[in-house]
Amino acid sequence: MKKHFLSLILATSLFFVGISNDLLAQNSSKEPVVKVEGEVLKTLSLSLSDLAKMPHVQATMKNREGKLQEYSGVPIIEILKQAGVTLGKELKGENLTKYMLVRGSDGYEVIFSLAELDPAFTNRVIILADKKDGKPLEDGVGPFRLVVPEENRPARSVLEVSHLIIKFAKE
Amino acid sequence: MLHFVSLINKIKKVRAKDLIVNIESHYKKIILPFVLLAAGIFMAAIDINPQYVDPYKLEYPDYFGNRISIPENNPTTKQGVYLGRMLFYETKLSSNKTISCASCHQQKLAFTDGRAFSLGVDNVPTKRSSMSLANLLWVRNFFWDGRAKGLEEQAKFPLSDPHEMGNYLDKAVIELKKTKEYPILFKEAFGSTEITSEKITKAIAQFERTLISANSHYDQYLRGEYKPSEQELKGMELFMNAPIPEKNIRGADCAQCHGTPKMYMELFHNNGLDAEPKDIGREEFTGAENDKGRFRVATLRNIALTAPYMHDGRFKNLEEVLDHYNEHIALSRTLSITLKNRSNNLNGKNLGLTANEKSNIINFLKMLTDSTFINDPKFSDPHLKRHQ
Repeated sequence: MKKHFLSLILATSLFFVGISNDLLAQNSSKEPVVKVEGEVLKTLSLSLSDLAKMPHVQATMKNREGKLQEYSGVPIIEILKQAGVTLGKELKGENLTKYMLVRGSDGYEVIFSLAELDPAFTNRVIILADKKDGKPLEDGVGPFRLVVPEENRPARSVLEVSHLIIKFAKE
Repeated sequence: MLHFVSLINKIKKVRAKDLIVNIESHYKKIILPFVLLAAGIFMAAIDINPQYVDPYKLEYPDYFGNRISIPENNPTTKQGVYLGRMLFYETKLSSNKTISCASCHQQKLAFTDGRAFSLGVDNVPTKRSSMSLANLLWVRNFFWDGRAKGLEEQAKFPLSDPHEMGNYLDKAVIELKKTKEYPILFKEAFGSTEITSEKITKAIAQFERTLISANSHYDQYLRGEYKPSEQELKGMELFMNAPIPEKNIRGADCAQCHGTPKMYMELFHNNGLDAEPKDIGREEFTGAENDKGRFRVATLRNIALTAPYMHDGRFKNLEEVLDHYNEHIALSRTLSITLKNRSNNLNGKNLGLTANEKSNIINFLKMLTDSTFINDPKFSDPHLKRHQ
């Protein structure tokens, strides 16, 4: 009887753990993510914790006042590889007419051609930054920002990135 | 005998020939209807732009660019636009037969209604202020919070809202069927007299796409046809420039969010109205905390006509709006970064425009009023004309 009682407690507690996990999962659906979609083999939805598991590098960009700022984040190319975007040897022919549209959560949008992102074409490493000086990005900038080195204006270093969308340029 | 045999053979040949001819003509009789039927089916299948509609030519300046949105299943046609205009001004679409789209979107006020909140069928005020309508062809996400993708989707909301037009769409379909003119107008626009709620929103969307405002003094200035006054020019410069006090460059940086010749960019920002907003704005739609207090960056086209301002109509005039951006930005976690730490004074706590500078900016904003647009008979109430 005692055994039964114990197993009942165990089962009940497991049930509640399950429910609270569900609740957590529901809450986490509101946590900020970057969605990778469009001409991809696998759509992605990356949270801060997903990004933390990926290899990080440093990148430097000029802010509006022209001062250099260093960020840490994941090379965009690594994210696109994970989504199965045509890169490297596959980036030829019509695939060279593909572009990545970057959208911020305020609706701001800019584009890059895939060749601007692929190490087979360029040595510049554009990152999706999640940290600056070892700290999470400030409100209005993060939690995710694009950092585009070697550009004179920061206009393509999109703040509060919410989407990376791969598309074909259709004339 | 030999002669007889050859005669028989001749007859046989002739008969065989006749027979072949007979069979051929018989086939022709069967095949012809088949060919016609197949051709008919084929023509119907490829006929996506039927003969009974004429394309409506949407005319706008090159400097607006062509990033426009027209769904493939709702091309803009003359007949569709006319039907849409009739429906835009049609009070039969509301449950008490007194409200049409035009009640809250009046042409003389650049398609707003001059109120902070509009009153619908039951006199319950709307949650947010009625938006002005101009150059919607370039808008992709509608309403103050961007919840509707496309004009067809947008039109459903006020029609289905119990407090706006009284959620009367399905009954309105029946009402319109009973009229003399509407079945004919639907046939002209969509090829059949059948009236559906989907066709109603499609036609209204077609009409709304034609509401193009591109003949303000500012447009005339861009085309080299208007010489702005000194105040207007100074205001324009302040509007376009970001302040850099170190270099003595004065500016209000309005163009950061309201820039481009369209005076519209599809952005959603928290513009510092409240530290803790009562109306959470876009957060309600997206569920994302970072969207708290974010609303559409409104078009500035015809802005002098569309008071009161903001999603809740809290500012009575443009002077109050300029005072807000200059002196009363409320700090919060989601305040737009473009409104943080901007000043015309070194280490200044606010934007720091002078009274004269604010007045110049308002002079420039008045250049965006398009009197051709608000008087254009193409956009006026077609029912009035009919009753005259």
